[in-house]
Amino acid sequence: MKPRPPTLREKKRYLLLRIDPPIPDPDPKDLYFSVLESVTSIYGDAEAARMMPVVISCGSGYAVVRCIRGYEEKLRIAIVTLTSVAERRIALHAVATSGTLFALRRRVSGLSPVSFETISPLHFRDREYTARRYQGQKVDLQEKGINRQELLFLTQDDLEGI
Amino acid sequence: MMDTDACIHPYPVGTASVRRMAMEAGALGFGGIVVPGEVAGGYHGVRIIPAVIIRETDIRRVIGQIRRQANSGNLIFVDAGDNGFNRAVLAHKGLNAIRCLHRIPKNGFDHISARLAYENGIAVEIDLYPLIHEKGIARQRVLNRYNDLMRLHSRYQFPLILSSNACSVLDLRSPDEIRLLCTLFGMKKDDTNRALQTVSTLLSPVESVMVTP
Repeated sequence: MKPRPPTLREKKRYLLLRIDPPIPDPDPKDLYFSVLESVTSIYGDAEAARMMPVVISCGSGYAVVRCIRGYEEKLRIAIVTLTSVAERRIALHAVATSGTLFALRRRVSGLSPVSFETISPLHFRDREYTARRYQGQKVDLQEKGINRQELLFLTQDDLEGI
Repeated sequence: MMDTDACIHPYPVGTASVRRMAMEAGALGFGGIVVPGEVAGGYHGVRIIPAVIIRETDIRRVIGQIRRQANSGNLIFVDAGDNGFNRAVLAHKGLNAIRCLHRIPKNGFDHISARLAYENGIAVEIDLYPLIHEKGIARQRVLNRYNDLMRLHSRYQFPLILSSNACSVLDLRSPDEIRLLCTLFGMKKDDTNRALQTVSTLLSPVESVMVTP
C-alpha cells in the first residue's frame, strides 16, 4: 500500500511526561489503557477518537505520549486526572510538548537520569520498610509485607529526626 | 505574591511528611502551602502556612472557635453546611475561608452567601481533589457545582482559593496543571492566577488607613 503524502497526514504533537514515583516503570500497555480511560472519562468516546492518544515510549522515569495537533491541552488535562496505572498509585507531570519525537528525545537526553540508592531494612515508627534514597534529600519508603504495603514519602531530614 | 496550595494534609493524615510536601510543591512551582495543624515555617524556600479547619455544625461552637483562634496566626477555615449555617458563618468576621462547597446541597451557597463572602473578604475554597479522583456522576456533580460557583463569582467577585487537599505527593498538581484543570468549569486563567495568590492576601489583608490626630 502506498503511504499517504505528508500533506495529507494528520499533524501530531508529542508530550514528554515525568512519572512519579519513577521506580518501577509502568508497563506501556497499562499506561496506554489508563491514559485512554482518563481521556474517555473526561471527554467521552467521540473526543477520544478525535484525539487519538498513544503511548510512544515509557521508561527511566519518563513517558512520551502522542495526540493529534490541537488536542494537546485536552490531553494534558486528562493526564492531570490520571491517578493510577494497573492499581498502582502514580502521577504524571507534563514536562514538554513538541511537534517531533526527535526534539523530545533530545530533551530527555538533557535531563539527568533517575538515580537512587536502596536501603533495606529500615525501621520507621515500629514498621519495617525498604527505602529508596534519591538525589536531593528525597526518600521513599515501601513497607515490607504481603497484604498492605504502605508507601511513605519523606526527606533525609525526616529520617535523621527519628 | 506567591502561588499557594490552599490545603494539603501531610503525615499522619497523609502519606508524605510536611517537608517532602513542601519540597515537591516547591519543585512544581508553589511558593507556599497551607497545612492544617502545622507550625509556621519554611523548607527548601517554600513557606508553610498553618491553618485550623473547623468542622462543627453548630454555629455557636463555630463562632466560639473562631474567637479562640482569632490571634493565633492560623488561617481559619470552616466546612460549609446548609444555607442558614453558611449565611451565619459568612456574616462573621475573623473567618478566612469556607470550604467543601461541593459536598453541600445546591442551594447551600446562594447569591446572599456570595455577597456576604465578598463584603467580609471571606474566600471560597475550590477543592480540586474530587475533580482529580472522582469519576462519572460524582465528578459531573462537582463540575456542575463549580460552574454555578463561577457564575456567582463573576457577579459578586468574592475571593477564591484553590486547594489540592493532597494526602500524598502524588496528589499534588503544579500551578500550570491547576490552570488547565480549572478550565473544565469555566474558570478563566486570570481568575485562576488570582485564586492561587489569594492566600497571600488573606495573610495580609488590605485595610483602610486610619489617621490618628
